[in-house]
Amino acid sequence: MSIATTAIPSQRLPTRKKSMRFDDRRQLFLLALALPAVVYIAAVAIWPLVQGIGYSFFDYNLLRRGGAKTFVGLDNYVQVLTDKTGQRALINTFVFTIGAVFFEFILGLGLAMLLWRDGRFNRICLAFLLIPVTITPLVVGLIFRALLAVDYGYIGYYLAEWGITSPRGLLAGTTTALPTLIFVDIWEWTPLVALILLAGLKALPGDILEAAFADGATSWQRFRLVILPLLLPTVFLALVLRMMDAFRVFDSIFVTTGGGPGDSTTSLMVYGVKQGLQFFNIGYAAAIANISILCIALMAAAFTLLIRRADVKANEQ
Amino acid sequence: MIKTSAFKLGVAALALASAVATAGAADKPLAGTTLTIASQNDQFASVIAKLAPEFEEKTGATVKVDILDYGSLLTKTQADFVGHTKSYDLITMDIVWAGQYAENGYTVDLNDLMKRDAAELQLDDIYPATLKYIGQYDGKQVAFPFAGYAAVLAYRKDLLDAAGLKVPETTEDFVAAALKLTDPSKKIYGFVANGQKGPAVAQDWLQYNAQLGGSVLDADGKPALNSDANVASLKVYKELFDKAAPPGAVDYDWGGREESFRQGLVAMMETWSVGAPGYYDPTMSKVVDTVGISYTPVAKGMPVKYGLGGWGMAINADIDKQKQEAAWTFIKWLTSPEVHKEMNMNGAGSYIRKSTLSDPDLNKKYPFLPIIAKSFDNADGDYRPRIAQYPEIQDLLGTAVNSVLVGGADPKAALDEAQAQAAKLF
Repeated sequence: MSIATTAIPSQRLPTRKKSMRFDDRRQLFLLALALPAVVYIAAVAIWPLVQGIGYSFFDYNLLRRGGAKTFVGLDNYVQVLTDKTGQRALINTFVFTIGAVFFEFILGLGLAMLLWRDGRFNRICLAFLLIPVTITPLVVGLIFRALLAVDYGYIGYYLAEWGITSPRGLLAGTTTALPTLIFVDIWEWTPLVALILLAGLKALPGDILEAAFADGATSWQRFRLVILPLLLPTVFLALVLRMMDAFRVFDSIFVTTGGGPGDSTTSLMVYGVKQGLQFFNIGYAAAIANISILCIALMAAAFTLLIRRADVKANEQ
Repeated sequence: MIKTSAFKLGVAALALASAVATAGAADKPLAGTTLTIASQNDQFASVIAKLAPEFEEKTGATVKVDILDYGSLLTKTQADFVGHTKSYDLITMDIVWAGQYAENGYTVDLNDLMKRDAAELQLDDIYPATLKYIGQYDGKQVAFPFAGYAAVLAYRKDLLDAAGLKVPETTEDFVAAALKLTDPSKKIYGFVANGQKGPAVAQDWLQYNAQLGGSVLDADGKPALNSDANVASLKVYKELFDKAAPPGAVDYDWGGREESFRQGLVAMMETWSVGAPGYYDPTMSKVVDTVGISYTPVAKGMPVKYGLGGWGMAINADIDKQKQEAAWTFIKWLTSPEVHKEMNMNGAGSYIRKSTLSDPDLNKKYPFLPIIAKSFDNADGDYRPRIAQYPEIQDLLGTAVNSVLVGGADPKAALDEAQAQAAKLF
C-alpha cells in the first residue's frame, strides 16, 4: 500500500519535474531574450526619470556651493507655478499645443479626404506634401526667421513695407510672435497628420462604405456616421502623437525668438533648458520637466477617455 | 663580470639615449603636447588659429582652436568644468564670468606663475585695468587678459556734419543728436543698439545705464535692479529704440547691430573697439571714408569713465600640472609684445599692452588706437557686475528690458519683477 501510494507520485514526479524544468527554461530563455531591452529601457528611460523626480525635490545647482544638494520638498514645484515666467511658460505651452494641434487636425483631415482617392496626381501631391516633415524643426525655425526678418526677409520685409505688420515684424511683437510660431508648426506638421489619417482612411472596410452609399446616405452623413467613428483610433493616434510633440516644442522657438519678446513665446521646454543647461539649476529644471511630463500624461489620459466615450456612443448608434 | 659589464653597458646606452632625447626636446620642449582652446567666435579666434603653427614651430606643442558662439562656449565650458571632463585645456573667459570662475575654482589661479615670470611677461607694459578687470577676482587671477576691448562711439562724420552737430560728449547730447539725425523716410537712423532678448540687450542696456548714472548693484553689492536711476535710464533707452533706431533693432544682437552700421543705416553707435577694424574694411563696409571713432559719452556731472570689456585666457584646473605649464607657456607667448602686435596687424582688435597701442605700424593701419588707450586709462570694467550670479541677472535683465522695448511693459514694473527674481539669488 505504502509502496503503491509512494510509487504513483514517484512515477508522476519526474514527468512533472521535466515539464516545469522545461517551462522554467523557456521562461529563462525568454527573459534572456528580453533582458537587453529591459536593461536598456531601465538605463536610458526609467533610471533618469526616477533621478529626475528625485532631483526636483532638492535645491541643486551645479554652479553654486560646489553643487551641494539641499532637500526643499515641493518648493521647486511651487516656485515654477507661482513664478511669472513659469506661469507664462505653462500658458504659452498650452496655447501653442492646443492651437497647433487643432489646426493641424482640421487641415490634415481635409487633406486626407482630398487625397483619399488613389490616383497618380494624389500620389505626386502626397510626395510633395511630405517635404516640410522631412526638415529638422531647428532648420525650419531658421528658415522662417530669415523669411520673416524685416531687414532682408522675403516675407517680413514686404509685410512691414506694405504696413501689414508693424515695422518690427511678426516675431518681434508680443501678440504676433506666438501665433506666428503656431503657424510655423502647422506648416511643418499638418502633412504628417494628413498622412496618418490617410493611412486610416485607406484601411476602412470598403463594404461598409458601399452599404452606406447603397442605403442612400448623403456624403455628410457618410462622413459623420460611418467614416469618422471608424477612423477614431487613427484620429487618436494622430492627436496624441502631435500633442506630445507640440507640448515639448523647443527648437523652433529657441532659434527664432529665444522665448521672446519678453516672455511671450517662452515654452516649458525653453524655460527648462535655460534653467538646466544654461544655469545648471538642476533641481528647478527637473521640476519643470516633471510638470511637463505630468501635463502630457494627463492630456493623453483625457484624450483616451474622450475617444473611448465617442467610440461607445458610435457603437450604440 | 660579464653580466655586470653588460649591465653597465646597458645603463650607459640608456643614459646616452635619454641624453639624445632631452637634447632633442630642448629646442622643442613641448613636443607631443596638444592644447585645445575653447574660443569665443570673436575677431581674435581665427587669428589665433592662424598663428598657432608658429607656436608649434617654436615649442613643439600643437594648438587646436575650437571656435564657438557665445552661448555654446558658455554651456560647453561649464559642462566641462562641472563634469571634470578635461575637454579643454585653455578657455577664453568673458570679463563677466570671473566671479563664477573664482567662486568655483574652475581655472588655475595664475598669481604664482605671474610672480615667477614677471620679467618675461613685462607686466608694466600691460594696462592695469585689463589685468584687474579681466581675470582678477577675490584675490585670484582666474584668467590672463589677452583681448581688452574699450567701449567706443562709432559715428558718421558726413551725417553729423550735414546736421551741423558735433560729436556728442555727454549722454544728454547723444540722445538729442540721435533723435535729430533720424529720418526714416531716407532710411537713416540716429542710433542703434542690441534689442534682442537675452545677453545682447542686457549688455548694451547696462552700458547706457552706467553712462546715465544707473547701477544694478547697490553699495553693499546687493541687487538694485529697480532703482530710480535704472528706471529712468530704461525709459531713455526705450525712447531711443522707439524714435531713433532701425525697426529691426529690437531683434539685433552684436552681429546685426554692427552690420546695420557698416551698411550705412545708422549715424551713431556705441560699440566694442574690436568691431572698429571692420568699418575700415572696404570688402564689408560702406562707411569706410565717413566713419569716425570717439569716446563714449558720459552723463553730465558724472566721473569720466569708459566701459571695459574683453577676454582673458584661462587654464582648466582639472588638467595635470605638466599640461598647465604648457598652457601657461602658450599664454605667455600669445601675450608677448611681438606676437600681440602680429595678432593685431591681422585684425584681432585685441589690446592689452601700452606698446601695442602706441606701435607706429598699428597706428598707421588703425587711426583710432589713441581712443582705446585713453579709455583703458579711465576704464570701468564693473558696470556689468562680475559676480557669480551675473549670468542669471543678465538673463533677468535680458527679458525685462526686451519686454519694455517691444511689449507694452512698463519700465518700473518690468524692473520690479526682475528685482524680485534677482533677490532670490542672493
